[in-house]
Amino acid sequence: MKSWKMIFIVCLLVVSQVLASCAPAATPTEEPAATEAPAEPTVEPSPTTPPEPVDIVLWAQATVTEAGAPPDDWVAYDIIREELNINLTYVIVPTGADGEAKINAAAAANDLPDLFQMVSANNDNRGALLRLVDLGLMAPVGDMMPLMPERVKLHYNDQLALDLVTFYGEQYGLPEPPPIPKREGLVIRKDWLDKLGLDVPTTPEELFAVAEAFTTQDPDGNGKNDTYGFGGFLNGEGLGTRFDFIMGAYGVPGVWNFTGNGDFGLNVRSENYPEALAYFKSLVDAKVIDPDWPTLTRDDFRARWKQGSFGIMWEDFAALTNKSNYEPFDTNFPDAEWIPVAAPTGPDGDTYYGVYTGRGQIFGVSQKAADDGKKEAIARLLEWMATDGYYLLGFGEEGVNFIIDDNGNISTEGLDPVQAYTAPERQPYTQMRNQLIFYNSEQEIVARYPTYETIAGRLMDPMAFLGFFQNEPWVDGRGIQVILPPANAADFNRYYTEGLIQFVLGQKELNDETWAEYLAGLDSLGAADYEAAAQQSLIDAGLLK
Amino acid sequence: MLRSKTRDAILFQIGLAVFLTIILLLILLPFWRVIVTAFIPLDIYTREGIPFFLSPTEWTFEAFNQLLGHSMFPRAALNSIIITLLGTAISLVLTVPLAYGLSTRNLPGRKLLMTLVLFVYLFSPGLIPIYLLITGMNLTNNYLAIILPPAVSVYNTLVMMSFFEGLPEDLKDAARIDGANELQVLWHVILPLSKPILLTIGLFYAVYFWNEFFTPLLYLNDNDLMPLPVLLRNILISASFNEYVEYNAFSSSSIESLKAAGVLITMIPMLLVYPWIQRYFTKGTLVGGVKG
Repeated sequence: MKSWKMIFIVCLLVVSQVLASCAPAATPTEEPAATEAPAEPTVEPSPTTPPEPVDIVLWAQATVTEAGAPPDDWVAYDIIREELNINLTYVIVPTGADGEAKINAAAAANDLPDLFQMVSANNDNRGALLRLVDLGLMAPVGDMMPLMPERVKLHYNDQLALDLVTFYGEQYGLPEPPPIPKREGLVIRKDWLDKLGLDVPTTPEELFAVAEAFTTQDPDGNGKNDTYGFGGFLNGEGLGTRFDFIMGAYGVPGVWNFTGNGDFGLNVRSENYPEALAYFKSLVDAKVIDPDWPTLTRDDFRARWKQGSFGIMWEDFAALTNKSNYEPFDTNFPDAEWIPVAAPTGPDGDTYYGVYTGRGQIFGVSQKAADDGKKEAIARLLEWMATDGYYLLGFGEEGVNFIIDDNGNISTEGLDPVQAYTAPERQPYTQMRNQLIFYNSEQEIVARYPTYETIAGRLMDPMAFLGFFQNEPWVDGRGIQVILPPANAADFNRYYTEGLIQFVLGQKELNDETWAEYLAGLDSLGAADYEAAAQQSLIDAGLLK
Repeated sequence: MLRSKTRDAILFQIGLAVFLTIILLLILLPFWRVIVTAFIPLDIYTREGIPFFLSPTEWTFEAFNQLLGHSMFPRAALNSIIITLLGTAISLVLTVPLAYGLSTRNLPGRKLLMTLVLFVYLFSPGLIPIYLLITGMNLTNNYLAIILPPAVSVYNTLVMMSFFEGLPEDLKDAARIDGANELQVLWHVILPLSKPILLTIGLFYAVYFWNEFFTPLLYLNDNDLMPLPVLLRNILISASFNEYVEYNAFSSSSIESLKAAGVLITMIPMLLVYPWIQRYFTKGTLVGGVKG
């Protein structure tokens, strides 16, 4: 009993001690700069008295989530304080639903940060901004644009992107350039083609023949029947975006018809759509596509191509070719080679690689910050990030973390590897780079995706893949950002997606009658109204005549 | 007749054993897969996927090395330990008096108090009011923001109250006759008899706080305060966004291995504590408490 009492007393003591040590620390925004004396409220600033520093709280996602935020003694904080007279507090917001919940909770408490990134669980950053605008929590930012001319030139130079963040005649968002556009594409195992004496396919029929050969003719020569022609997985609505090159051969890539051919509306309205589905179904029926495609996750899919499971796929250029991603595949198959290929051309001459939606990060300024007179300081900070602070926030300190070589490229040659901007230890210092700093300049891209030698001594150039993908025919689908989901989006999307997959998997027979039933089902869920509303939104945004 | 009964009993025992074996396999097989996945070398994973068995020479601790060797791991683990210990202690300190008070039948206003407690149980206030309260109390960036809102679980309180109600009233009366007030009764009589329920409820609270993930994301803006589950999540997110990896992140483990290792790392502390506490779950509590 005595020992029990002792435990309880110790617990209480621990609680009291830890409580004392965890006493609420002042939030960084409230903390004055260590070197500053408290300002006298009655003293008017004079030309010789520096104005009081402006506290700015920035919420943005991390470029490398595991690396954490920069430390309090980060040199950039000091420079921003000394040169811009700004006390910056940088908070990393979580991705996806967690980040959205954090921002929504702050919005509900009227406690939004001064400058922050829109976060949306379903990648609808524009919708997230519009909701906050409608709540009166966001400040117009159009008047900030003349205060940051260089940033506008480099970051806010896309009129469509600006139009998409303009509501009720006022610009409310700062649309950052999207991540490297059109970065995914179709690739094929050249070593398998060569072994089987096949040419690069250019039509759906040729693609089928090559996929069949990859499946049945032991292209890896291991004596086992363990390969498939295609590999893929579902991402997004319908059949996802990873098979758009197939649907594109029939003129119906993506959910909406943004091709300009025919009337705007859902692509399933096109008479070509069932034909495209029938072709896809023939791939499934012939078992030339990895049968797990409907349930594979992206990570599983990537593990499988690294295991040499299939020879044709749609993949992100960096996920395929970047050294850290390619290395496991290279180790398994040093003599293998993926090459980028063009989208097949369909029976009517249609060929589309995919749909480019151009979704980028959107930042906004809270009305609270505007009421506190912080817009000018925020513009000053953003302009500095695009000019004097660009290299510091994107790569680190020149000569220590990076150098610029004779060709004008960013390099780490001759630097201490631990100090190089590419080292894991340096990642906290460049966390803002993908959100606020980079604008897809050639210097950035070359620095991020360098050329290297494979195990077999072949030169691997990620930029060659990117360049190939970007030059293929993409459909400009950026208008999708103004299309608001219907009220019954969950039911609608479920019916839309499950129906298409059932047709492809043969769970539902695909003929004129069943297709008409499927479309009737969509209409019963309000498809026609959805299409009309989408069309009107595009017209209102000036994206459709 | 007797033989028939014996045969039925044997058949029943066999059936029971088969049924329980199936249940056991249903529990063990996923767990086994997690273990294999956590220890699988990257080259085997990328070549063959996840096999059912690994040969003894093929195991690797790389995934654990990668997670445990992360520069932020010690800090995050310490944060989790602080949140768990502090949260469990505060929760018990608050739950015990409430449960004891509610278990006292002649407590004035007991029904009203009970109604209020149950009201909170039935109608959760939701995220926003709690967020307003926390920010209004200036508790952002403070562990108390994680600990205080769930500090008194109504469910745990009711379980504890029911345990206290089961203790013989004679014991309390005896102490009262000897001049003890209610706090002394609680301290000298009830708590020494309540080790099993204190440890059980303490374990419930500890598991909750150890696994707590969302509220740190919500209320902690300082990365140095983030607990282990948040760090593990961040590592996994980084690993899955490998198309955006342009720095030297040459992972020597697959994402699946990292996930599995993360699951095991977060499970192990609780698995170690559980058997130690389990003996109190069933242990008798009142032997010799009342003498006739």
